Amino acid sequence: MKILVPLKRVSDPDNANKIKVGAGKVETTGLEWKPNPFDEYAVETALRLTENGTNAKARLGEVTVVTFGPKETETTLRAALATGADKAIRVDTTDDAIDGDLLARALKALVEREKPDLVLLGKQQVDGDANQVAQLLAEYLGWPQATFAGQITSEADKALLVSREVDGGSIKLRVTLPAVVSVDLRIVNAVGVTSMHTPPTHKYSDGVRFAALMAIMAAKKKSLTEVKLTDLSPDTALKIKYTGFDLPPARKAGVKIKTVAELVQKLKTEAKVL
Amino acid sequence: MAATDNPLLSDRDVEFVLYEMLAAADLCRLPAFRDHGRETFDPYVQQARRFAREVLYPAYRPMDESPARLEGSGVVVHPRMKELWPQMVGLGVIAATRPAAVGGASLPLTVATAANAYLMAANLSAYCYAGLTTGAAHLIEAFGDAHLKTTWMPRLYSGEWTGTMALTEPQAGSSLTDVATRATPRPDGTYAIRGSKIFISGGDHDLTPNLIHMTLARLDGAPAGIKGVSLFAVPKKREEKGALVPNDVHVTGLIHKIGWRGLPSLALGFGDAGDCRGWLVGEPNKGISYMFQMMNEARIMVGLNGVATALVAYHESLAYARMRPQGRPLLSKDPTRPQVPIVAHADVRRMLLRQKAICEGGLALVAFTAKQADLAAHEVDVEARRRAGLFLDLLTPVAKSFPAEWGFESNALALQIHGGYGYSSEQLPEAWLRDQKLNSIHEGTTGIHGMDLLGRKVVANGGEPLRILLEEIAKTCARAEAAGVDRAWVDRLREAAEQTAGLVMHLGALGMSGDVDGMMRHSTHFLMLFSILVVSWLWLWQATLAKEGLAEAGADAAFYEGKLCAAQYWIATELPRVDALAALCRSNDDSFARMQDAWF
Ligand SMILES: Cc1cc2nc3c(=O)[nH]c(=O)nc-3n(C[C@H](O)[C@H](O)[C@H](O)COP(=O)(O)OP(=O)(O)OC[C@H]3O[C@@H](n4cnc5c(N)ncnc54)[C@H](O)[C@@H]3O)c2cc1C
Repeated sequence: MKILVPLKRVSDPDNANKIKVGAGKVETTGLEWKPNPFDEYAVETALRLTENGTNAKARLGEVTVVTFGPKETETTLRAALATGADKAIRVDTTDDAIDGDLLARALKALVEREKPDLVLLGKQQVDGDANQVAQLLAEYLGWPQATFAGQITSEADKALLVSREVDGGSIKLRVTLPAVVSVDLRIVNAVGVTSMHTPPTHKYSDGVRFAALMAIMAAKKKSLTEVKLTDLSPDTALKIKYTGFDLPPARKAGVKIKTVAELVQKLKTEAKVL
Repeated sequence: MAATDNPLLSDRDVEFVLYEMLAAADLCRLPAFRDHGRETFDPYVQQARRFAREVLYPAYRPMDESPARLEGSGVVVHPRMKELWPQMVGLGVIAATRPAAVGGASLPLTVATAANAYLMAANLSAYCYAGLTTGAAHLIEAFGDAHLKTTWMPRLYSGEWTGTMALTEPQAGSSLTDVATRATPRPDGTYAIRGSKIFISGGDHDLTPNLIHMTLARLDGAPAGIKGVSLFAVPKKREEKGALVPNDVHVTGLIHKIGWRGLPSLALGFGDAGDCRGWLVGEPNKGISYMFQMMNEARIMVGLNGVATALVAYHESLAYARMRPQGRPLLSKDPTRPQVPIVAHADVRRMLLRQKAICEGGLALVAFTAKQADLAAHEVDVEARRRAGLFLDLLTPVAKSFPAEWGFESNALALQIHGGYGYSSEQLPEAWLRDQKLNSIHEGTTGIHGMDLLGRKVVANGGEPLRILLEEIAKTCARAEAAGVDRAWVDRLREAAEQTAGLVMHLGALGMSGDVDGMMRHSTHFLMLFSILVVSWLWLWQATLAKEGLAEAGADAAFYEGKLCAAQYWIATELPRVDALAALCRSNDDSFARMQDAWF
């Protein structure tokens, strides 16, 4: 199976207190970057689908990771190559020159070139939190989609049985390949993915795998190509325009209330919730 | 009230030491490291960090609470350890710094030091199965014959088996001269080994199907003393007709340790049934010299154990101090106001700053020493390589002992910050305090290192290693002045350096005049003095970088201001001890020399 995984670096959510807003833009200098966690789950899922878990070194399929970003985002791609992805593509652009729709249109063109059997994505980015690209891409491709996958079972790599995480439980969908699937946290549990190559008795470690030092070195030699955004989508118009950014207001200091009557009073007149 | 998300080390400080201080990426100009660069260093350190935080650290307390057990004739390790081992091996920890020819990744020790610090801080015992295995395999790599290199070494570097260092015997601890285990040649070229060892860490376990003991023993007829000790590789099980059969190595006792409880240390009997075989490593009677060639690395590792154990406790106490409300500011005692977190009290910040100064000073010390090891092994320029070798030899006793001695104090402060809660096993600082104590005992006690430093290292090559240190100190002082570091700090370091140089001349002259006892009497005090001098130099260096960093636009001000406070603290409170210690060493005070056994 050939799988395409779009991957994005995001500013580390642990840096929230370092965020500054200036001139209608979020200042990104000085922020630390990390791969979007949901994208890492997508890479892990793709790897599990294309290997025998009892001998993970032998690849039994192909995983291509793609990112949209400037030169320095290649670090994120190399990290994915180090954990086992086979090749990488960087589409040269910057965060503020793309939105979910343009991304989906460019990915469609890339899918037509690379001809994967499956596009696996994280369900959303932890910076923009939009949760749109998988759905738009499936629509543009005219492929079946299953979002928020918490469990995937490959049926001979012809179809996937996907357990989707929804409010109050899960829904099982069967999608025939080629398809677009977005993944949720639970997919990286020990038994989140059942591939056709791995014995069902095999248990993975929970979470995303670690890259070995040797694999980090070998990743330097794996193919990483650069593509221009306009080669994929000549129309680079954005549908989303940001008009400004503000930091959330700082929390006001609390007040101490002496009596219940005073509390009720304040809830009525100040908080206006009664 | 446990503070949960312990970061183990500050990522920013690791980056500072590696790149701002030690320019680790420049090492890649050397042929040995040409396949590397920040693009491999950073991801490796990140992987080690994540593994340490997510996998090793959560297993620390359970492994401390229920140590490895002796069941029947063998040791059973904690079940968590069995999950950790393949994952840690998978990261490539064991052979990271070894060359590609033996399956390694040629990573500079400088960078491995940063990665290993996270692993050790998270779970010292778990890491040390790997550390010991690297040490054993490296001995075979350096001195073993083709047979050992093709059969056992790859199994060690791949983590299929593990290795141990089997030196100590009941009558031969500090004094390896007294090793008595015997080796008798057998017709097939192997040796019959017979003797007892004690304290052998990782000496038996059920993690891997076999293990190799790098064992010191005496050949029949060998000269008495240290020049009659040879090195042998002794497997727990030997291969016969393609199968592993017992090699007559037995666990005779398990030490009930107060720390490092995840790693068993054992008394072992070799050849009780007359059927234990060993394979000679290198030439006969050279065992100790082989061990010595590996010692720098082993001691850097122990130094890092000490730094890491102090660091994890420092971070725990820092988080605790930020969340434990107690008392009110000195000048506003209004009881109706809420209590403040204890970090608001200057005296608590004193304890935190002392820990920071010890821990970050220690990390800089061990990483700098590791860089000298990299240069001493791989620098192409012959003169620079020689110089690095001398500097490495000089700094090794300090890199081994400073983190152990000052680290123990730092660990005690971490407990102190927890108040009464720290004195309970509900909180982790007491466990790290127990772990830390070993570092001043194994791999040479502090007393032994004091004698090594004064009797051998500072006076080696006509005092050349000391001159190298003084040159480096002078360079740092000049750069500090240019960067605008407080003049008084620079002057104090210069004075201490001169003071030390004068003292070494004085003590050296005593030794030359035949008064060896007079020269060596205060060797442990000298080690303390020398450690303070070296770490003060490293702090002035860090202060210089902080000043330079602050001058740049968009600087990480909080980080650099913290460095300046720690440097100031160290120079104000610790560096002045050099004067008193130097006076003591010079005075040749004879209180404990004169004191007689019967008068105690
Ligand atoms: C938990 C643990 C793990 C260990 N792991 C290993 C291992 O894996 N392999 C291994 O081979 N060994 C191991 N050891 C042994 C360790 O290296 C020795 O304990 C150490 O070398 C000290 O020897 P000793 O215990 O016999 O103490 P001693 O040598 O009896 O020392 C006792 C005291 O006397 C002092 N002293 C001794 N000789 C002199 C002297 N000449 N001048 C002045 N003072 C002196 C020492 O400084 C010390 O304070 C381990 C020990 C422990 C506790």
